[in-house]
Amino acid sequence: MFHYYFLLGVRNLRRNPVLTALMVLTLAIGVAASVSTLTILHVMSGDPIPQKSQRLLVPLLDNGPARGYVAGAKPTDNQMSYRDAINLTLAKTGEHRTPVYGMAAAIEAPRPDLPVEEVNGLAVGNEYFAMFETPFLYGSAWGEAEDRNGAKVAILSRTKSEKIFGKENPVGRRVRMASQEFQIIGVLDNWNPLPRYTHLINGNGGSLSGQDEIFIPFSAAINLQLGPNGNVTCLAETNPGFQGFLDSECTWVQYWIETKSISDRAALKDNLDAYMSEQRKLGRFQRQQPAQLFNVMEWMNYLAVVSNDTRLSVWLSFGFLLLCLVNTVGLLLAKFSVRAPEVGVRRALGATQGDIFRQFLTEAGVIGLAGGLAGLLLALGSLALIAQQSKDLSVVAHMDWPMLALTVLLALAASLLAGLLPTWRACQVTPAIQLKSQ
Amino acid sequence: MEIRPILSALLRSKTAPVLIALQVAISLAILANALYVVSLREAAAARPSGIDNEANIFYMSTRPLQKHTHSDTLAQQQRDVEVLSALPGVASVSITNQMPMSRSGSTSGWALDRKQTRSSADVSMYYSAGPLIRTLGLKLVDGRDFNAGDIVEIDDELDDVGKKFGNSVIITKPLADFLFPGVSAVGKSMLYGTGDDAAEVKVIGVVERLQSSGASTRPGGEYSAIIPHRTSSPFSRIVVRTEPGQRDRLMADAETALRKASPVPLIVRGRTTENDRIERYRSERALVWMLLSVCALLLLVTGSGIVGMATLRVAQRKKLIGVRRALGARKLDILRYFIVENFLITSGGVVAGLLLAVGLNQLLVSQLEMTKLPLAYLAYGAGALWVLGFLAVYGPAWRAAGISPAIATRSA
Repeated sequence: MFHYYFLLGVRNLRRNPVLTALMVLTLAIGVAASVSTLTILHVMSGDPIPQKSQRLLVPLLDNGPARGYVAGAKPTDNQMSYRDAINLTLAKTGEHRTPVYGMAAAIEAPRPDLPVEEVNGLAVGNEYFAMFETPFLYGSAWGEAEDRNGAKVAILSRTKSEKIFGKENPVGRRVRMASQEFQIIGVLDNWNPLPRYTHLINGNGGSLSGQDEIFIPFSAAINLQLGPNGNVTCLAETNPGFQGFLDSECTWVQYWIETKSISDRAALKDNLDAYMSEQRKLGRFQRQQPAQLFNVMEWMNYLAVVSNDTRLSVWLSFGFLLLCLVNTVGLLLAKFSVRAPEVGVRRALGATQGDIFRQFLTEAGVIGLAGGLAGLLLALGSLALIAQQSKDLSVVAHMDWPMLALTVLLALAASLLAGLLPTWRACQVTPAIQLKSQ
Repeated sequence: MEIRPILSALLRSKTAPVLIALQVAISLAILANALYVVSLREAAAARPSGIDNEANIFYMSTRPLQKHTHSDTLAQQQRDVEVLSALPGVASVSITNQMPMSRSGSTSGWALDRKQTRSSADVSMYYSAGPLIRTLGLKLVDGRDFNAGDIVEIDDELDDVGKKFGNSVIITKPLADFLFPGVSAVGKSMLYGTGDDAAEVKVIGVVERLQSSGASTRPGGEYSAIIPHRTSSPFSRIVVRTEPGQRDRLMADAETALRKASPVPLIVRGRTTENDRIERYRSERALVWMLLSVCALLLLVTGSGIVGMATLRVAQRKKLIGVRRALGARKLDILRYFIVENFLITSGGVVAGLLLAVGLNQLLVSQLEMTKLPLAYLAYGAGALWVLGFLAVYGPAWRAAGISPAIATRSA
């Protein structure tokens, strides 16, 4: 019977074509507005590494001075000092671990006719690549030995590699950077996690767009005194020179720890607390705050990757969808009210109120489906428009399959909801009166 | 006026009017809040940076491939300034470490008293040994500009900045008013940092306005200080004011001239303040654009709802209208009937909408750090919906007025 009602609904789309078109269009606009804003929120707040996002943890050790500190306040900065980064690495904290800091340099290309190539990248530990499951196009990560000696090796992003070397495999080639010869040992295949969770506090392109183009060992970057390209927070006195900077309590390194299982998190926290109280004996960590740990999703939430503006857009556009829904109720009422004689005849021929209910609700659903399809087109169009607003928006304004399905479902749900009152009205038709008046 | 019969007719068939009133209410709630957010963002984006004639400003950073020594870097800076000053069409050139609205810069805490444990204000730091005030066209409202005697040379590798800070600073009026309310800041002392080691520095001048590099909308977005330090910081850049209309040509010329004058290959980057402003307010613009589109669609949907309902009601009462006309009602009476009826419905919606708008605003205040909706926006929104209601109903009402009295004599 559903099949028949469905076909009937499709045929009835042609009845009162203006009214029907208006309904489809209203639903489509409402759904398109809410889906396009929701898509942006969905992409911005997506889990970039679902298979292990609970096991990748960021430690936050508040090393600010006790002077002027209000107990319980958030740490002033969300990064770590060089000293702590080195200590955690040496102590082999967690299962895997890596420090991360942004660096910028210029590559003197091997071909003299090419201009100097500026690169924005990261200085990291060798475990970075396995921890974040970066795909390799050529070559592989460096090992522990390279980290120990500060070997001058580099891994390029695919985009940068193709820009410098073309399509060929550059592994084994050398580049001159910061007055030193670096050997290329690998090229990452396209890898643009959204958001860029491994390097959220950064200086090249924000948390959404932008790319890390080169990766070199943390130790090599320090040996070459490559200053951080990103936020640096110094709350206490620092001695002059690079060594003074390294020894200071300035925070500029981001740190990641991977645990073997989710349940190891508590043990890791105890471990870090023990480290902090050990360091307190040296006069450090005077704010007496415990270590904090954030997994990937908590970290993105803590750093407020999704702005309030994004949420505001979603809320207001769903308010707009509600308006479209109320509008559709009115239009459906008008459309169904002229069908009273038809209902009267069907009821007189033995259809129950339930039958009428199913028939008319199916018809509302058909309108919703049409609205959903039209809404999908409108949403794709509006996302294309939104993408032109900024670089960040161009990265996130992309619809995926779940959002595609949601668009149609949302329109269907809206039309069914809007159809309830008009359908109920249609069920109330008294057959006798309708038949008499004809 | 015949309000009572209209009301009783309305109460007899409630559903459609209630739906319209509900649409008006939802529209008003969203419209008032959205327009308020739009006005906030527009106001933020229109704030002056302090720079006079931003269209004539660009800045360049030059960096050699190798790390240079302090003295080499200062020599290069000097040469760059000379090269750029010599270009025809350049009005003024200065060194700085950051630019307003460029979203990359440095901030330090300043205090007023050694006993303080927390700094009084976080201040955006403009380090410049050049005529920054003249180049940016800042307005000096109190005190004087730096002279050659104020300038201090700092070598980051060797010098302890706290000990060698120098004794003069120029601050912005908003910062001066915040730190020294009611009195002239000139001659007053400020502490760079807190505690016993903080350097004591005297305010020698006050500029009307100079936004920080972040140009935040909080008061701190205008707390800036100019420090007369000559440094070899890698963040140094040269800011250039050109004669009107010469900027784009000069930017290209400047890059060529800088490369030509340098004995070693350089990385040269140029930006304009106009571009910084666009980038700084891009997300604001995107939100404004999106909210305005929603508002336009909102009015369209509500308007079409009113037209639809009015048309339906006219069609249902065709015969009644004919009877009224036959009994002596004028066209104007019929027109007025539908307009007044619609006004009553819209007004019901507006009343509900005012409550809904305030409720929505409270939700946004509590969840999304919005500020309280000023009453004026409720008035604007209500006015807009009343006008929309009148315009939407006028067509159907006019057609109703045109119904011939002869219809009364025909059977339905």
